[in-house]
Amino acid sequence: MIKIENLVKRYGNTLALDHFNLDVKEGEIFGLLGPNGSGKSTAINCMLALLKYDRGSIRIMGEEMSPDNYRVKSQIGIVMQDVAVFEELNVYDNIDCFCSLYVRDRKKRRELVEDAIRFAGLEEYRKSYPKKLSGGLLRRLNIACGIAHRPKLIILDEPTVAVDPQSRNRILEGICELNRQGSTIVYTSHYMEEVEQICTRIAIMDHGRSIAVGTKEELKSMIKTGETVTIEAVILGADDLAEIRELPHVFDVRYEDQKLVAKCTGAKHNLIRILSYLQEKDIPFGRVFSELPTLNDVFLEITGKQLRD
Amino acid sequence: MTVFRIYMKIAKKNMWVILMYLVIFFGITVMFQQFARQDVENYAAESIPVGIVDKDGGTAARSLAAYIGRTNKVVMLEEDREALQEDLFYRNVDYIIRIPEQFMEKCILGDDKVQVTAVPGSYTGYYVEQQMNNFLNFARTYGAAGFSEDEIGEAMSERETAEVELVDFSGNAGRTPAYAYFYRYLPYLFLSVLCYVLGYILMGFRRGSLPRRMKASAMPARVQTLQGLGAAGVLALGLWGICSVAVVFLYGSDFLGNGRSGWYLLNSFVMLLCALSLAFLVGSLVKSSNALNGITNLLGLGMCFICGVFVDMDLLSSGVRRAAQFLPVYWYENVNIILTEHGNIGGNVRMEVLGGIGIQLVFAAVFVCLTLAAAGEKNRKGQ
Repeated sequence: MIKIENLVKRYGNTLALDHFNLDVKEGEIFGLLGPNGSGKSTAINCMLALLKYDRGSIRIMGEEMSPDNYRVKSQIGIVMQDVAVFEELNVYDNIDCFCSLYVRDRKKRRELVEDAIRFAGLEEYRKSYPKKLSGGLLRRLNIACGIAHRPKLIILDEPTVAVDPQSRNRILEGICELNRQGSTIVYTSHYMEEVEQICTRIAIMDHGRSIAVGTKEELKSMIKTGETVTIEAVILGADDLAEIRELPHVFDVRYEDQKLVAKCTGAKHNLIRILSYLQEKDIPFGRVFSELPTLNDVFLEITGKQLRD
Repeated sequence: MTVFRIYMKIAKKNMWVILMYLVIFFGITVMFQQFARQDVENYAAESIPVGIVDKDGGTAARSLAAYIGRTNKVVMLEEDREALQEDLFYRNVDYIIRIPEQFMEKCILGDDKVQVTAVPGSYTGYYVEQQMNNFLNFARTYGAAGFSEDEIGEAMSERETAEVELVDFSGNAGRTPAYAYFYRYLPYLFLSVLCYVLGYILMGFRRGSLPRRMKASAMPARVQTLQGLGAAGVLALGLWGICSVAVVFLYGSDFLGNGRSGWYLLNSFVMLLCALSLAFLVGSLVKSSNALNGITNLLGLGMCFICGVFVDMDLLSSGVRRAAQFLPVYWYENVNIILTEHGNIGGNVRMEVLGGIGIQLVFAAVFVCLTLAAAGEKNRKGQ
């Protein structure tokens, strides 16, 4: 569906995309994950031919993407990071207006607009103006405007920024539904939980490069961490820490604010081994957590920094 | 016709602004028309009661009394100080002229002044004094040329009967036709409505990520631009149409039968193009509703005040007029004045009118170029 090869984009002396590669297959929900400023939006803008790039190639649906390739553009739906609707038009007119940029037939358009309103759960607000809508409803309107013409490829650029949890869940469910209806989705976000929740494949971006691509399982298998054990309210000495670090499969131990964080490789019984050690030494402890690795761990291990800086 | 429809829908939301400016415009036009009409109807030479004490009794003195009496009510008085004071006190006369003995020798051939007394605080005496000085100046000229007293008296009376022929270029007997006021204030309407409404629409299209969403759509940018221009053109033509119908409705045959109605329409249409192009420039630069309001008022009122719309062109200082030449409204008003003053638009007058219209078109072209340059710069920054 999308094939990007060696894309380079500079803003003056700043390298926004550094030989960026991407291969999105039809029917996928593909996540572009990266911290702010990693180049996600620049990549999206280049894909949509909104930005000129310095080097590389972008092919969408088998065709070279260019500003005047309206055949490809007519198959793409876009949901911007900022809400991009006309404040002077009501909900129905806004969706109809953006749909009419793609669909000329009035009767067909009416059906599509009604479907989009139902999809976004905006039935009660069809006559409302954007200024009267809450943040969540506004985001849903923004999405409805982008998908009303039933595009084959939908690009969503951080559609859940500043959205309440209820609306966020509804939006994420909606994206999965669009995918089930046959649309390929490209989803950019810096919320790793969202990407983990809905994306079938994920590319992690940093400094304009794609640093890792795969399913979430594949990405997690790329790193050493198999389990992170956290134990609260424990009082440990330097000797204890050294001994815990020597336990089998434990490769990293941190102790801050009376909290022990031990990173282990993917072997079993890590938690039991650490708790047994504490019992043997008669060291009291509070709450205990065991977590499987997240995409943040993947990002942290690859780049040495947190995803949410 | 998506973009066209959006323009129209947003314009419809601003209908109250258009109506407000239309009401202001028609209100101003009618009000100024009424003021102008009152001024013309009330005009008359001031006639005041003037007392003359003629101690000389010669031909020149009688001639002066007759000269003053042409526009004033002259009362011949005796030299009695108390009686004269009473006449002034009871306002029997506003002004007393004492013609001394040997008036010819002392005041016309010599440098003596004629004694006068006026009611304290009265400004009307100024007119009489001016008339008396006129008489004395002419009489002194005749005297210096060697005229005798009788000859001076005769020459002054002949002078009074001289006929003045008024050349009426406009065919309006020196009066400004009512529709001229209508066209005079039209730039205010065009500038205010178009700058505000189009500015508001264009601002809407530039809000947030909307330009990117429109640019990424399946509708070519060229088609979007053409539809936008078409919608703006329809709005502007609608406004011009309303005004053109209104002028025919209000002034009927006075306007249609003056032989210059086509020129008025052409001039107003070119002004419309100027206002439209300026509105596009404003709309492409302004970022908020408050700024749009401010700029619309600044342009509408500012141009109209310094270009002879709200203040008569003759009352503007030469410096202001020189500065106003850099604005299209000045040239529009200039053409209007020519059209009002000349019944027949031919020869040099025609060239002058066409020149004014041409300059307005140049202004419109400059505004279009500036808008395109601003759009190009924004695109360049966006890349």
